[in-house]
Amino acid sequence: MATDTLKSSTGAGGASGGLRRLLLDNGALTALIVLVIAMSALSGDFLTADNLLNVGVQAAVTAILAFGVTFVIVSAGIDLSVGSVAALSATVLAWSATSQGVPVVLAVLLAIATGIACGLVNGFLVSYGKLPSFIATLAMLSVARGLSLVISQGSPIAFPDSVSHLGDTLGGWLPVPVLVMVVMGLLTAFVLGRTYIGRSMYAIGGNEEAARLSGLRVKKQKLAIYALSGLFAAAAGIVLAARLSSAQPQAAQGYELDAIAAVVIGGASLAGGTGKASGTLIGALILAVLRNGLNLLSVSAFWQQVVIGVVIALAVLLDTLRRKAGATPVAAGTSSGGGKKQAATYVLAAVVAAAVVGAMSFLHNGSSAAKTERIGLSLSTLNNPFFVQIRAGAQEEARKRGVDLTVTDAQNDASQQANQLQNFTSGGLGAIIVNPVDSDAAGPSVRSANTSDIPVVAVDRGVNKAETDALVASDNVAGGRQGAKALAEKLGGRGTIVILQGQAGTSASRERGAGFAEGLKDYPGIEVVAKQPADFDRTKGLDVMTNLLQAHPDVDGVFAENDEMALGAIKALGSKAGTSVQVVGFDGTPDGLKAVEAGTLYASVAQQPKELGRIAVDNALRAAEGEQVSETVKVPVKVVTKENVAGFGG
Amino acid sequence: MSNPDELLRIEGIRKTFPGVVALDNVDFDLRRGEVHVLLGENGAGKSTLIKMLSGAYTPDAGRILAGGEEVRIHGAQDSERLGIATIYQEFNLVPDLTVAENIFLGRQPRRFGMIDRKTMEAEAAVLLERVGVPVSPRARVRDLGIARLQMVEIAKALSLNARVLIMDEPTAVLTSEEVDKLFAIVRRLRADGVGIVFITHHLEEIAALGDRVTVIRDGRSVGQVPASTPEDELVRLMVGRSIEQQYPRVRPETGDALLRVEGLTRDGVFHDVSFEVRAGEVVGIAGLVGAGRTEVVRAVFGADPYDKGAVLVDGTTLRRHDVGAAMAAGIGLVPEDRKGQGLVLDASVAENLGLVTLRSATRAGLVDLKGQHAAAARIAEQLGVRMAGLGQHVRTLSGGNQQKVVIGKWLLANTKVLILDEPTRGIDVGAKVEIYQLVNELTAGGAAVLMISSDLPEVLGMSDRVLVMAQGRIAGELPADRATQDAVMALAVGTPAGSGDHHTAGPEDDTADTAGTTDKETPRGH
Repeated sequence: MATDTLKSSTGAGGASGGLRRLLLDNGALTALIVLVIAMSALSGDFLTADNLLNVGVQAAVTAILAFGVTFVIVSAGIDLSVGSVAALSATVLAWSATSQGVPVVLAVLLAIATGIACGLVNGFLVSYGKLPSFIATLAMLSVARGLSLVISQGSPIAFPDSVSHLGDTLGGWLPVPVLVMVVMGLLTAFVLGRTYIGRSMYAIGGNEEAARLSGLRVKKQKLAIYALSGLFAAAAGIVLAARLSSAQPQAAQGYELDAIAAVVIGGASLAGGTGKASGTLIGALILAVLRNGLNLLSVSAFWQQVVIGVVIALAVLLDTLRRKAGATPVAAGTSSGGGKKQAATYVLAAVVAAAVVGAMSFLHNGSSAAKTERIGLSLSTLNNPFFVQIRAGAQEEARKRGVDLTVTDAQNDASQQANQLQNFTSGGLGAIIVNPVDSDAAGPSVRSANTSDIPVVAVDRGVNKAETDALVASDNVAGGRQGAKALAEKLGGRGTIVILQGQAGTSASRERGAGFAEGLKDYPGIEVVAKQPADFDRTKGLDVMTNLLQAHPDVDGVFAENDEMALGAIKALGSKAGTSVQVVGFDGTPDGLKAVEAGTLYASVAQQPKELGRIAVDNALRAAEGEQVSETVKVPVKVVTKENVAGFGG
Repeated sequence: MSNPDELLRIEGIRKTFPGVVALDNVDFDLRRGEVHVLLGENGAGKSTLIKMLSGAYTPDAGRILAGGEEVRIHGAQDSERLGIATIYQEFNLVPDLTVAENIFLGRQPRRFGMIDRKTMEAEAAVLLERVGVPVSPRARVRDLGIARLQMVEIAKALSLNARVLIMDEPTAVLTSEEVDKLFAIVRRLRADGVGIVFITHHLEEIAALGDRVTVIRDGRSVGQVPASTPEDELVRLMVGRSIEQQYPRVRPETGDALLRVEGLTRDGVFHDVSFEVRAGEVVGIAGLVGAGRTEVVRAVFGADPYDKGAVLVDGTTLRRHDVGAAMAAGIGLVPEDRKGQGLVLDASVAENLGLVTLRSATRAGLVDLKGQHAAAARIAEQLGVRMAGLGQHVRTLSGGNQQKVVIGKWLLANTKVLILDEPTRGIDVGAKVEIYQLVNELTAGGAAVLMISSDLPEVLGMSDRVLVMAQGRIAGELPADRATQDAVMALAVGTPAGSGDHHTAGPEDDTADTAGTTDKETPRGH
């Protein structure tokens, strides 16, 4: 009881509570201001009205999710399901309006009801089922994601146009997502500050037992709290899908962690009892400013993640220190001791600012100085050698041609890609190369690049409902067909095979699967006994193949929709790989080709990712100079087996 | 200056926190083989002083000498090296580890890099033997009662070869029997040459155990007196004035029965409990810790379920296990665990005061914040809560003021029957009297108070009737004029089966079972 001794010596101020709150908010606010100053100092493109609105749009989805999570965190719970629930609600909206013909108004209500229902289930499990909120909402994270894949059958669904206007601008300049964010924020502040349920959240989060013994109906309140979080998730999901004009079953993955980070950066405690709407908004803005700024500064995609993590930690650290310095005593700021400590935190803030600025200028390659042509490449992911190869090819070409190439990594998230494309557009690049996470979802952001007369080249996958100057791609459907042929012929036209599918909902998986199925029609002796997703991932390929072998021990062949999964399957097969079981992969990555050479992988349908990257840059540059380029550039696909692997460089 | 018996000397210590001078020019010393009592009201600076010795705080001015040499204590390691061990009110034990593991936490004896369980348990057994507590080193700490937890803490201190043992209100949560055991241990340690700093609010313990007393008031040491100093004098030193009457009970006319409890039973916890509380009355419930007193009042309030019986207010039966129904009928509960169950510690005074009335102050989902704030201001003024403002977090209030806030939230709800569970535990003399005055005001206004207390003089001094519980049953009822310490204790430790005729005597094994269960439920606080 340290504070027992701090007998209030009177007069010191009823304002101390208010002052403390202000300081508490300022912790995050200071961090935000420091960031904004640092960014504007480093990039001339940052502090423009257009770009600031971009930041607002990019913060909107996270902020709306985070507002909902604020309710839960204030009441000492956690909600991990918001990202999945957002995707599910958007999917329900698009599915009911597009394929079921439900009137749009009803579809919107249905989507919101879906969010609330998910929240109610969470709340029921937590308050009546007595599950820890972490577990209950973790379960919902998986269930909601699964349901949205079931409903959409893995493919994105076009969003009804009338709702898609939510992603547009009002009066030509005010983006609707920003407006929605502000309205939801005000609503959150109102609920937290003025309503019975809001005040209950603080009491329950501060001390649940005391709240119960004071007559608060804790269980019912919790139901309502999680339902509110579900409602906000649904709203976020609708805004997200509207921006992309498409409901993505895989959208908003990992957003729950961004939302939680925003809430905590905003000064809430995971232990409950504290938290404010304004803090959460600032938290979401910090994350958005960071991502936007790092894009503008062409910081390497890998380093971006490092910087974001460091800044999250620093922002919370700064806040904690300020709180310690400013708030321990009964009367803050009445003595020199407090003043000194506060001064110390300002010094710390300055050091942090210097560190941020220093680190960024170190990382951003000094690109802004030269007058060279700048082009941007937004890759769907860098978590896969294939795309790393595209990047390598593109960078090689860019170096050769003396242009400045910025590469961003969308981490398989369509909305993050939209943000990056927007940042490219407002950064005034000469040309943009996009490797879409999803062809539909990239549409709106490519359209805005079209409006700004920036040439766009798509690589590997096309962009729908927008103009691209060129599409540089290998033909996935044809590749699938060739893969089927190679495998079936090696097996002599008979046998049982399993298929390892890529990430559900991605076009690569769809097209390769479709091509393979088509090609297999010519070989009626081949029976597909199982078809399971392994998400283009080597570890998952290993796990899924191990499981499948339990059910089908005598399988003769495996078709994997990429080399990574094929390599995982080979691990699972052990000595059987290449002897009694033939494996065919896709992509022709260096690891895949090595396996072909070793004989464990029978064949890989090889794309030439480096070529893709090289040709994309070449076309982008020519388009930027106003030259006419051909609309589609096909990079050949080739089945690589042991016979021809030596001649294949990759 | 070098008295060979002197373990510790503190000279002119000063410690300020922003805005507050917590300690100013405090002197204190401790010799080998003595019990030096540190006395003072809550908020006087006792905790700050011992935190300087345990390394949690460093002094702004003054010096600390150990064995005649000036030392700086910058953390727990420093104080451990100097042989200083502190036993706080809230124990530092890990509930799911065994007794032996807790005693040697972080210092487990090791062999080939693995924990040497055998040696550890053998050494723990020796320490436990020395403390005189019959607990297996392999017992899980979670399963122990609060008294035994304390003994484990002492054993842990001994394992560190502590020469100075600081005990912060060790008796606050113990029954008188357990206090006697603790005193025996402390005397034995004293005989072994350990110097003991003992903090207590129970003045009678000073003469029983202490050698010297240092009184601290408002952050200054106001005097050092022998332990034989009369209690009146100690109180005068402590509060700076003399307190006329420790138990100022004024008995109004009693009215109709406000609360009736009939045959309340929860299997294995309490059995066939019946009593009534009348308007204007204070009914005390005495008994040993674990007798089922808290369990009964929680069931009456609807916080816990019961199996049989009924709770009636104004003749209507209340729904079982429904706090809302009990509140609507005008019952309020001030729980025994003030911080764990009574307060939202990191919320403001105003918010805590408004907690009970939050629902009634809500129209169409919106809380009448202005009205709530005004009501909180009025009641805080009425109760004399000493605070910097309504926005102050209750965590930073002293114990007495925290308790006033808990009582205040029920006063705002116009409570007719207020249940007080250990209302003055850990509260200093001055604040205690203020709380008694509140009880008087309540009963004078026609309300009734049901008070559980392990502090016998308090029960006897404030109650109009005393119910004594033993092993989950009401062992007897005593009117104020017949209630003496001996009479109450006789009922509390006696076998209840023979004492009453208003309940069916349970079979022997059932009673034994009950005792076993209640013993397990004993742990309270932290």
